[in-house]
Amino acid sequence: MKKNPKTLKLILFSIAGIALLIFPLLAKNSYQVHILNLVGIYMMLSLGLNIAMGYAGQMNLAMGALWAVGAYTAGLLNQRLGLSLWLTLPCAIVAGGLVGGFVGLPALKVRAHYLSIVTIGLNEVINIILVNETKLTGGVDGISKIAKPALFGFKINTEQRYYYLILIAVIATFLISRQILSGRVGRNFRAIRDDYKTAPAMGVNAGFYKLLAFIISGCFAGAAGALYAHLNAYISPDIFEHKTTLFIMTLTMVGGLGNLNGSLIGSFILPVLQEYLRAIQDWQYVVYGLAIMVVVLFVPGGLMQVFTLLKPYVTMLTSRFNKLKSGTTVGEDSNVS
Amino acid sequence: MFLELEHLTMKFGGLVAVDDISFSVNKGEIHGLIGPNGSGKTTIFNMLSGYYKPTSGKIVFEGKNITGLPAHKVTQAGFARTFQNLRLFKSMTVLENVMVSMGHLAKTQLLNVMFNPIAAQKENDLFTEKAMKLLDLLDIRQYAHNLAVSLPYGTQRRVEIARALATEPKILLLDEPAAGLNEVETNELAEILTTIRQSGITIFLVEHDMKLVMGSCHEITVIDYGKKIAEGDCDCVRSDPRVIEAYLGKEEDL
Repeated sequence: MKKNPKTLKLILFSIAGIALLIFPLLAKNSYQVHILNLVGIYMMLSLGLNIAMGYAGQMNLAMGALWAVGAYTAGLLNQRLGLSLWLTLPCAIVAGGLVGGFVGLPALKVRAHYLSIVTIGLNEVINIILVNETKLTGGVDGISKIAKPALFGFKINTEQRYYYLILIAVIATFLISRQILSGRVGRNFRAIRDDYKTAPAMGVNAGFYKLLAFIISGCFAGAAGALYAHLNAYISPDIFEHKTTLFIMTLTMVGGLGNLNGSLIGSFILPVLQEYLRAIQDWQYVVYGLAIMVVVLFVPGGLMQVFTLLKPYVTMLTSRFNKLKSGTTVGEDSNVS
Repeated sequence: MFLELEHLTMKFGGLVAVDDISFSVNKGEIHGLIGPNGSGKTTIFNMLSGYYKPTSGKIVFEGKNITGLPAHKVTQAGFARTFQNLRLFKSMTVLENVMVSMGHLAKTQLLNVMFNPIAAQKENDLFTEKAMKLLDLLDIRQYAHNLAVSLPYGTQRRVEIARALATEPKILLLDEPAAGLNEVETNELAEILTTIRQSGITIFLVEHDMKLVMGSCHEITVIDYGKKIAEGDCDCVRSDPRVIEAYLGKEEDL
């Protein structure tokens, strides 16, 4: 009986894995795959924000701009120097991390709501630079004709092929996030989130870990930016405005702050919901808004909380099911345990 | 000298909370700091642990001037503290709370812990083992995987002490550890203090519970209105007329 949950998990994982692998073959058109590619990029952004906001408690409301830093770094390096994604991606990660660290500097002085105001201001500053530094960034016209990558002569030039690239990137980002949070760094993040005043007395250099959280979210946003630039082949400043930042924050909060799986779920549900609601035109914002309100009111911990709330019932049902199967009565079983 | 406070002064605007206080703490002893409410005990405590920067004066620890160092550096220098009102990390289990304090002792490089699962696991295992030993010492091993803030008050106090000890301090600063404890728990606390001292850690104790202070301290400093009014061993302090007037006397009047 003890093996049951593990085999169940393995089966679920295999089903999910196969579904993810064959999705592009089943999709009706490449637009559906495109949406899923965007979902993957949102997942990376949301994971980055979740580390800063959900785990370290640092309000990083400049994710849109950090995404832009990655996208523009990749776009410019490709356009001016002809570098491929394999070279622009690491450059974009470094650039995102550096600007992320810069955006995080105010966290050493201000916190909570004040920090969100300062970082959303920096988001706008970076966006204004993108619009006005016409010579470097192309201004409102943005950068176009960013080349699609190729791997040993195999051109990744369709949405379907790009899908697998993004799938690998998302899995890597998720595993790295989990690894970072599993040890000392994750504990220190949660310590400064839980009680920023107490943490230093336990030897935690609070300032350093605040900056580290911003740098990590910047690196993730940078990677997402490079992938987006090469996927879309065209980038312009309006994609990275503060509304994008708020969208990424919404994804993360609906999914569940402080829960990496929440980032994945939120980033999947909201953009897909948006696509389905496109048919009802402007009314989509009403439905979308209501959906967010329902989550905030009834499951403030995000959709992941639903699972936590359901867990006792599920264990109860499975144990009853097991008892029925093994033929023991409830009384006998409780005597044994 | 082990720990020396030299002419320490702390002003908040026009208010002089601590006024030119000097005393020293000997290695391996339990040193008590007492005084009526608002006399500046917690202010001294916060200056020692790096939370306040003194207006003037010096704190010298093992020959090194540690005045005005940030709190995490003070902890790394060998100080550990508890808080008057419990401040455990609320999202963490007892074990995790204790393990946070071990981070600054870690020998593994930060990048290695972040990206190398094997190194991270090794460090976590090492920390867990060390933390479990501390939980044994304070008799709270059975709560290791409980959420720390869900435990009874007295147990949370023990977790706080375990968390402070996990930083491997040379001196342990305890801010009113007996506050809110009943008599049985206070007696158990006195035993814990003795055990900690026997393991070679100096204890600096701010406390209102006279029984605990008189029972465990080797040396006592008394302050009132931010000024030192007496120091010495228990008998000496107890019979000091200024102490009786400022502090113990008031209680007798009641």
